[in-house]
Amino acid sequence: METLPSIWRTEVLHALSVHLPLVSLMLATLFFLVALILKKFWLKKASGALLIIGTIGAWITMLTGDAADGIVSRSLCDPTVLKTHENFASLTTILFTVASVVYILQALIDWGVKIKLIFHVIMGLLMVVGTVTLMYVGHLGASLVYQQGAGTHQPSEDCSEF
Amino acid sequence: MRVLLGIFSVVTLLFMAACGESTDVVESGTYTGTVDEVEAEKSEIYVKTEDGQKLELYFIEETELTKNGEAVEFSALEEGQKVKVEVKKVGQRLDPLKVDIKE
Repeated sequence: METLPSIWRTEVLHALSVHLPLVSLMLATLFFLVALILKKFWLKKASGALLIIGTIGAWITMLTGDAADGIVSRSLCDPTVLKTHENFASLTTILFTVASVVYILQALIDWGVKIKLIFHVIMGLLMVVGTVTLMYVGHLGASLVYQQGAGTHQPSEDCSEF
Repeated sequence: MRVLLGIFSVVTLLFMAACGESTDVVESGTYTGTVDEVEAEKSEIYVKTEDGQKLELYFIEETELTKNGEAVEFSALEEGQKVKVEVKKVGQRLDPLKVDIKE
């Protein structure tokens, strides 16, 4: 009789950790753009908070992803998808990390109006590009799970483990 | 201006680093090359073949690792070593059947 694998196995930690940064970073970008258009200061602050939370979450997700890699890669039929997923995840994390640093710099130090504007432009660009790459990372992650079964358990035909 | 230039340079460098790790899929067969990277905790190696292709090889239960004809542990693998690998292509995955350390 087959036994059910633990829900807390290593590769599942990646699924557990990924959704917070996914949402936080996308919302951070959305709030930032809306704040620019509507000139709402509170939206910019909210964007900054989401950006930092999401960036920290992204680094944690990179660690859990690295742990999952060693376990699931041998069972994949196309590990090149995993490699691309990892490369773009690294890039995305870097983009949002730099955006976070820029946000903190412009928030803590009075650079003057002109420099602050340039910082906002850089932040916006980094976040928009980062959001595009984030969507691609998510797409590849979904492909790994739903097309290749990465990290999933296939129940037996007679459901004996249940 | 210097700060902006610095940020731009760092992002560009990091972008290049993140995109530089692609691997290649080859047909089943035997290849000679150099160990480019060893990831001991994943029992994984990257091999740069003589024609410049980068193979990602996750060791499986059946993988035979030898040096001078004798079986050795994974820890014997080091970056820069010349190796001869026999791989089996399964889908787009390369399973290493034999890895022989040449030096």
